[in-house]
Amino acid sequence: MPFEFANKLICHPPALSLFLEGKSLAHLNGVDILVIAVYFAIVIFIGFYLKGSTNTSEEFFMAGREMTAWIAGLSFVSANLGSLELMGWAGSAYQYGILATHWYWIGAIPAMLFLGIVMMPFYYISKTHSVPGYLHLRYGDGARALSAVSFAFMTVLMSGINMYSMAIVMKVVLGWNLNFSIWVSSITVALYVALGGLRSAIFNEVLQFLLIWLGALLVPILGLIEVGGWTNLRQQILTNLGRSDYVHMWSTLGHFHDNPMGVHWTGIVFGLGLVISFGYWTTDFLVVQRVLSAHNLRAARMAPIIGAGFKMAVPFIVILPGLLALSVLPFHLVGETQAVATGQHSYNEVLPLMLVRYCSPGLLGLGVTALIAGFMSGMAGNVSAFSTVWTYDIYGAFFNKKATDKHYVAMGRWCTFVGVLISVGTAYLVQHAASIMDYVQALFSFFIAPLFGTVILGMLWKRATKAGGFWGLLAGTGTAVGLWAWVHYDPSALRYVALSADAKAMAEDMYRALWSWMVCVIVTVVVSYMTQPKPVAELEGLVYGASRIPEERDEHWYQRPIVWAGVIAVLFVILNIIFW
Amino acid sequence: MRESMSIWFFAGVLFLAYGIIITAEGLWELAHPPAHPPVLFNLHPAIWWGAMMAVAGLAYTIRFWPRVRR
Repeated sequence: MPFEFANKLICHPPALSLFLEGKSLAHLNGVDILVIAVYFAIVIFIGFYLKGSTNTSEEFFMAGREMTAWIAGLSFVSANLGSLELMGWAGSAYQYGILATHWYWIGAIPAMLFLGIVMMPFYYISKTHSVPGYLHLRYGDGARALSAVSFAFMTVLMSGINMYSMAIVMKVVLGWNLNFSIWVSSITVALYVALGGLRSAIFNEVLQFLLIWLGALLVPILGLIEVGGWTNLRQQILTNLGRSDYVHMWSTLGHFHDNPMGVHWTGIVFGLGLVISFGYWTTDFLVVQRVLSAHNLRAARMAPIIGAGFKMAVPFIVILPGLLALSVLPFHLVGETQAVATGQHSYNEVLPLMLVRYCSPGLLGLGVTALIAGFMSGMAGNVSAFSTVWTYDIYGAFFNKKATDKHYVAMGRWCTFVGVLISVGTAYLVQHAASIMDYVQALFSFFIAPLFGTVILGMLWKRATKAGGFWGLLAGTGTAVGLWAWVHYDPSALRYVALSADAKAMAEDMYRALWSWMVCVIVTVVVSYMTQPKPVAELEGLVYGASRIPEERDEHWYQRPIVWAGVIAVLFVILNIIFW
Repeated sequence: MRESMSIWFFAGVLFLAYGIIITAEGLWELAHPPAHPPVLFNLHPAIWWGAMMAVAGLAYTIRFWPRVRR
């Protein structure tokens, strides 16, 4: 029974006594510090080691387009696996139950497979260096400027959120000062990205991905042993909470008030699964940049498919600890605002709490290193993407078109430091946000959803015009901001925006994304029909039906990307049925 | 002249270092149990987890050790 384990915690580990005294959860000993120090030493070494191989802009911003499918694929999924993912979704699992898994499965897998099979050929054969760069080739400078500026803005905000999450980990687990954590980690990231560019970021992301698994995997393994397996865990959650909606993914989505998230299946399928997910995984340059670094088209197509396989497994180390905490923790976690007011622990602290519960010295250091690595991979991804978009799509496109290659590389290095500084400023702003996750979801719906509408029409519809792309993107973004402001100033408007007064923040975000995407698509189509399209000859390499996709000659059937995409898709369906 | 270091070599070195550190700590704790052990300490996860890391790290370090170019 959970209470027996609660007694065990109260009687033995130092964690709870420290918790009750309002101090940090744990103190690292010499071994833990050594584990963390080894990690910092190796990431900085990689930066210095790779500096010599990043002399041209192609090497600095695109890693020389030399990455294998496995490296690009792991980096693709690791850049997304920031501390926000680890801590935020573990907290969401505690708060909303297994519903949080939707953000890993329907909220990622179909979009990742679609990127690999359908979209990657156009990104890759157009030889673009960024998503705004693709918009430039397809729609001209207007759409490029709009997407580049909004992306740069979103990226530094995301980076700041990552930093804040990281500082919380350090504060909760180790009692470290917020400012110390923010500055030490951000300077390290700035150093290795500025030195080695995207290649260094990718190398570190692969290492960080492996570390995250090694450091975090023990929690669900030991947790399942403690509760006696998945069946017992489900039973204990039912007993503790007195409700079954925490352990079902789909069966409770028939109505907004039937599940703890206050969401309807249409919001999950269309808002999250179609718009937010496809928008993020197929047009957010933070992740797409990793795939563009692949050494050939086949590797570029396989990378998102490999990433999808690993992404599907991430709930095991993120969602499961949140569910285990519902069963084994002897106290209740609360929202961020209440936690600050009462001194209790918040949902976002569930993962560190579980680490402290199971990990002795050495392993605790490894777990903390995993969280630091998650933070760094997320931040490095944001910073390297920001640096590329700023240099190519804002500075190089509008301020200094004729600079030398060496100048752009120098700009990229300096821009990395500036991006980190802006992120640090953002981290201090985020401290005042009520909920980290809601904040990020709101940002996604502002920029990402309309961008997906613009890119997908540009790739699949020859008739889309320059004016259509620009005005569609602008109208979609404006709609998202307008809907957000409407609900913000008049909460009763939720019944219109999210189709129900029972809807909660996350449901609102999903529907806002859906509406903004639809407005973007409708405006793009209408304006395109009113304006002159480009000749088909100018769309070569950019649009389906106007491009010749290079043939891939695989020796065996099992080497084909479509085969592996099929395998992942079948697993995806099976998992959703199992946890229905 | 050696070939450049692979990402997998870095991963191997890191795992090997961590494996050795964590296994050693686990063995030390076996001889000197902590006054306030974490939950399920009796399973000694540090020893088997650390040993697995060390073995995997050693294999990768050897397999991807930068070779001399001819």
